[in-house]
Amino acid sequence: MGLEEQLPSGVLLSSVEVLAGYVRKSSLWPATFGLACCAIEMMATGAPRYDLARFGMEVFRASPRQADVMIVAGRVSQKMAPVLRQVYDQMPGPKWVIAMGVCASSGGMFNNYAIVQGVDHIVPVDIYLPGCPPRPEMLMDAILKLHDQIQHTKLGAHRQAEIAELESAALTATPTIDMKGLLR
Amino acid sequence: MSEQPPAGSGSAAAGDVVPAGAVDLGLTPVAETIGTRQGAFGVSGSGDTSGFGGLVRPIEMPGPSERPYGGYFDAVAEELELALADAGLPAESAIEKVVVDRDELTMFVRREHLVQVARTMRDEPGLRFEICTSVSGVHYPADTGRELHAVIHLLSITHRRRVRLEVACPDSDPHMPSVTSVWPSADWHERETWDMFGIIFDGHPSLTRILMPDDWPGHPQRKDYPLGGIPVEYKGATIPPPDERRSYN
Amino acid sequence: MNVYAPILILGLLAFAFALFSVVAAGITGPKRYNRARLDAYECGIQPTPQPMGGGKFPVKYYLTAMLFIVFDIEIVFLYPWAVTFDMLGIFGLVEMLLFIATLLVAYVYVWRRGGLEWD
Repeated sequence: MGLEEQLPSGVLLSSVEVLAGYVRKSSLWPATFGLACCAIEMMATGAPRYDLARFGMEVFRASPRQADVMIVAGRVSQKMAPVLRQVYDQMPGPKWVIAMGVCASSGGMFNNYAIVQGVDHIVPVDIYLPGCPPRPEMLMDAILKLHDQIQHTKLGAHRQAEIAELESAALTATPTIDMKGLLR
Repeated sequence: MSEQPPAGSGSAAAGDVVPAGAVDLGLTPVAETIGTRQGAFGVSGSGDTSGFGGLVRPIEMPGPSERPYGGYFDAVAEELELALADAGLPAESAIEKVVVDRDELTMFVRREHLVQVARTMRDEPGLRFEICTSVSGVHYPADTGRELHAVIHLLSITHRRRVRLEVACPDSDPHMPSVTSVWPSADWHERETWDMFGIIFDGHPSLTRILMPDDWPGHPQRKDYPLGGIPVEYKGATIPPPDERRSYN
Repeated sequence: MNVYAPILILGLLAFAFALFSVVAAGITGPKRYNRARLDAYECGIQPTPQPMGGGKFPVKYYLTAMLFIVFDIEIVFLYPWAVTFDMLGIFGLVEMLLFIATLLVAYVYVWRRGGLEWD
């Protein structure tokens, strides 16, 4: 039935959005997708010193069926790419993706035949987190930005409007290659 | 092609008896030159921004060593020769050359006799190399007729020794007998060597790609395999991959 | 009865909450199916094809179950003897030894016929 997508807009919807956003961000369970060195930093972020448990995220679900966010931590090789896509597909919505580290964001220092140059070739990414590896505080900053994003996600008719707006903005935006003169 | 004179102090001349247990570091074997390398990192033309573009170096392999080799290498070589002679295989036809370089023994074995040499190395009481720690590959494109080498590292626990066997094969016929019948642990190592270099191990139970996806064309670790990088887009510019960048002189 | 009423109510509430969660999620959630989501989870690789209905049931499970039943019933018969050991005395001992010996014959038969080999 998909009631969530058919909610009419109004003040009531805004309060529901606030509540739904709060509830969704407060216990965002990550799926384990630690591939390489960034996984060590992800583990360190879950460890007591830089605690992820205070955000309700210390349970890294082994099964994607129980996970909300996939933190792709590490370089994705050509052989791993279909596995990544399969695990992403098996996650139930709503789901988000954090590309942790430069290798997941853009291929990192490995510009060669074996490494996929950025997981956004494979899955849609919500937060790109640079770093090699990013410090646990940086990962938590990315997670908190994602929480912010989730809190302010709209539902129902508002969401359709937001998507249309984002699309038109993206179509008229300057392409990256044309953003010149920024070093001045 | 420059000829490299024997380097080192030459402190022990051939003919001196080297005490057992001592490995003579001063006597480096005569190097064999198989080509010249211009520049670094394999880049030629204007794509080299490393600054090493003017470098010219001979590609040298350490040449064969003379007896005595020093340390336990003599014992290994003698045992192997005796055991092979007992089995009816003269050592000269099985072992091409023996190189002692930087404290390590490398025996170049002909590929026809590889399995027999391997079995002897494992089973002889004086040798007992029970563990094959690694099988890897090397590609020397300049060494025509012997381009692909497979290197087998052996470890003996009973005698605490390490030895290397090196087998060469030409690119036109990249076949080599598999040592999985002797050391089963070489299974995945040989799959990796096939994947990366294209050396076909005859007698291997299942020689398939292990690191690259199953339908990958080519053998990535050969010297003539391209890096495969893509240009990286920044704000306002794209930077080509490292092997395609302009040089500025 | 009224002593146990709170526990029953708690049980009913828990059940009702679980039911509500599942039904509400089913109603309010969107139906976005893709083939991967309907596949079994096998760590991201394509799942190994399994035969329909689980394949033929291996008969060795049946054999193990039967042997278990037989020797379990034997143990059940040994319990009353354990409880009334003093009262039965030598008579009980001899009777039970005969009983165990009979079952021992069966055990040796199964053992020598290979019934205890799993593969």
